[in-house]
Amino acid sequence: MPMGHTATAQAGSGGLTATEHRLANGLRVVLSEDHLTPVAAVCLWYDVGSRHEVKGRTGLAHLFEHLMFQGSHQVHGNGHFELVQGAGGSLNGTTSFERTNYFETMPTHQLELALWLEADRMGSLLSALDDESMENQRDVVKNERRQRYDNVPYGTAFEKLTALAYPEGHPYHHTPIGSMADLDAATLEDARNFFRTYYAPNNAVLSVVGDIDPERTLAWIEKYFGSIPTHDGKQPPRDGALPGVIGEQLREVVHEDVPARALMAAYRLPHDGTRECDAADLALTVLGGGESSRLHNRLVRHDQSAVAAGFGLLRLAGAPSLGWLDVKTSGGVEVPDIEAAVDDELARFAEEGPTAEEMERAQAQLEREWLDRLGTVAGRADELCRYAVLFGDPQLALTAVDRVLDITAEEVRDVARATLRPDNRAVLVYEPTAAEADDAADADAKGAEQ
Amino acid sequence: MSETGVTMQFHPQPAAGTARPWAFPAPGRATLPNGLTVLRCDRPGQQVVAVEIFLAAPLDAEPTGLDGVATIMARAFSEGTDKRSAEEFAADLERCGATLDAHADHPGVRVSLEVPVSRLPKALGLLAEALRAPAFADAEVDRLVRNRLDEIPHELANPARRAAQQLSRELFPATARMSRPRQGTEETVTRIDAAAVRAFYEAYVRPAAATAVIVGDLGATDLDAVLADTLGAWTGTPAQERPMPPVTADDTGRVVIVDRPGAVQTQLLIGRIGPDRHDRVWPAQVLGTYCLGGTLTSRLDRVLREEKGYTYGVRAYGQVLRSGAEGTGAAMLAISGSVDTPNTGPALDDLWTVLRKLAAEGLNDAERETAVQNLVGVAPLKYETAAAVAGTLADQVEQHLPDDFQAQLYARLADTGTVEATAAVVSAFPVDRLVTVLVGDAAQIEEPVKALGIGEVTVVSG
Repeated sequence: MPMGHTATAQAGSGGLTATEHRLANGLRVVLSEDHLTPVAAVCLWYDVGSRHEVKGRTGLAHLFEHLMFQGSHQVHGNGHFELVQGAGGSLNGTTSFERTNYFETMPTHQLELALWLEADRMGSLLSALDDESMENQRDVVKNERRQRYDNVPYGTAFEKLTALAYPEGHPYHHTPIGSMADLDAATLEDARNFFRTYYAPNNAVLSVVGDIDPERTLAWIEKYFGSIPTHDGKQPPRDGALPGVIGEQLREVVHEDVPARALMAAYRLPHDGTRECDAADLALTVLGGGESSRLHNRLVRHDQSAVAAGFGLLRLAGAPSLGWLDVKTSGGVEVPDIEAAVDDELARFAEEGPTAEEMERAQAQLEREWLDRLGTVAGRADELCRYAVLFGDPQLALTAVDRVLDITAEEVRDVARATLRPDNRAVLVYEPTAAEADDAADADAKGAEQ
Repeated sequence: MSETGVTMQFHPQPAAGTARPWAFPAPGRATLPNGLTVLRCDRPGQQVVAVEIFLAAPLDAEPTGLDGVATIMARAFSEGTDKRSAEEFAADLERCGATLDAHADHPGVRVSLEVPVSRLPKALGLLAEALRAPAFADAEVDRLVRNRLDEIPHELANPARRAAQQLSRELFPATARMSRPRQGTEETVTRIDAAAVRAFYEAYVRPAAATAVIVGDLGATDLDAVLADTLGAWTGTPAQERPMPPVTADDTGRVVIVDRPGAVQTQLLIGRIGPDRHDRVWPAQVLGTYCLGGTLTSRLDRVLREEKGYTYGVRAYGQVLRSGAEGTGAAMLAISGSVDTPNTGPALDDLWTVLRKLAAEGLNDAERETAVQNLVGVAPLKYETAAAVAGTLADQVEQHLPDDFQAQLYARLADTGTVEATAAVVSAFPVDRLVTVLVGDAAQIEEPVKALGIGEVTVVSG
């Protein structure tokens, strides 16, 4: 258990520090002390996400995440939830393209319990996994899919956009929720194999942040996790590399029962972890973040052609990141009018870049978002895991805001010029079917056109 | 790794260490010369400061036929002042790294500012300017009205929002403001103009009828000086107390289906009104409601989710609608969630069985103990951020509760027994006095729901 970095605050880290350790079985550990509140956050990132799934088994990583809460060798059924909540803790797990995370925030004096629980399922899940929990959680996840995506207006937009932006066969072509057919097809043996392949100490990073005694915490981690065997069954995910730009404008028109027309688009952007990605974040903030962004001013304030207009960024390390434009139209405004205005704004921005005031605003907004994320022990624990798993260095979490503040207006203009262009986007248009009922001319509305 | 091969070394479940004491923070309270009440709370380490402003401008004060004027006013605060245009105001605020949200609810209007502490003076100056001298320009108000009209179809399309609107319409008398959407309807919002917004502002918004809650790492800030230059410079006439109308509701057991042909799930919202935080039963009601449906190991999800797989999750909760010092307020007591369409009947059947069993057999000591441990134990986690503390302090202000209510609540929860918690939750959710709203496919769910005998079933269009 050699000590890694020493606990000396780096410039720009806001006084936060983190130390790194590695158990003999390969489990990486990151600790960060903060005694302001008597709480401690435990966060465990497994380096497996929906990008590791194979054809016909989409949604398996997320379904498996649910199974991790169904008991292990020493923990009965829902015991994980019961014990953490009964100790005054909060907990959950989430699955994304690139990782699966599990986290507990505990009152300080219950920290050891959370470590014991995480170790028990990392080492012994299969002794409790059975058909009954598999069938039950399959139904729960299918209802999660219905509630969050299928039964909500525009609920499947993100799924459609990623399917357009990342080509068929690409590891990011499908989203973590998976398809109903694949959820139905998953077997208990699939789940067992998934665990055997990916749930190993050497494929995980554990962070503990908050009101902790680092030496004692490390001793507990060694005690509970140290004997879990290493294994190396993991296959690397399929290569997510793609050309920097799509090269053509992709397009799908969806006719659905939605309340208003919408124009959405996914732009292919630089990988997370690069200066160019931070520059893209600033560009999207100037263009489509908050109430003083260029798109908001143009579409919502001036033209009054949209109810809402904004840009979001999905940072990805193993594939190009994704910039998500979302505009809901006002009243009877037609999509081509919106599209022309968006193109006009993006072209102008690519030409002139952000003003000094816009840079100041965007950097201040991103700085506050970082302060928010690092302002709780759980947020900090998650970011330390993120940088350790995706970029090999948890310390990068503590200086992330400095890197955003270091970006210049020229870099923002350059990334906009290179990426925010019509031949680098997948466009998704929503046309409401209810309106078509009045418009008898359009009879063959169903289905998507490319 | 193989199942027969190497395995880990197991250890017994560890015992808890010694708890470090924690208490919900006690704010300092003061009144500025202009009549503004200020609550402040220093939270070392919380670099993002949260400011909550409560304006005693309740929804029931909106003029007849102008539902939504409080909402438009709240939004118009950030659309320009006597010194800045709407765009300039938004840009200046965002250059502070700040966010500003405002919304109108039954007790009044809440304006929430979050900003890094280094830029607090500047952001508080902007907030004060917005409250003291809002422009309410015709063009900006007209735009907000049109924008609000555009939002309404989006809200109605959302099953959870649609269910909530229907439940309010069912529960409260048509004359009561609570029966109608908080942010107005198409008919009422269309009538709102800048003159109506200004008239509402002049009638209800003044420092003497407002409270500012400021929470965060304030150690290096001379807050008194900052306040004097900002919110302290706001002037207005003394406040007049506006009596609160009593809250009444018709909770005759019945079912309303909001028809959504083809919906793959049914959104369910089952509710009535009951005691608020001024009532002595509140801690027992919180405890019992948690045992019924606070988490996925509570009674409802243990059956509906973890045994049957009908849902991603069903929750029971009590949410205060409006409170007064005289105890005439009320909370919405509700159970909500979504279940897949074919299992709607069976899920409701199970839900009623859970309620009946609870009434017949009561809670047990173990689940009461777990609930107390959770509700009390999570407090330091829940209140780690400045925004969480500020939100609860402002809730207390708008509900006319003492500043130490939350701190005392934890002690009262710990003292509440199984019998009291049972009595409170059974009386909160009586099986024959629940109004059930189902947003779903009537063609598929109407007959199975009728067969349950949980009240008369009517169908309305989606």
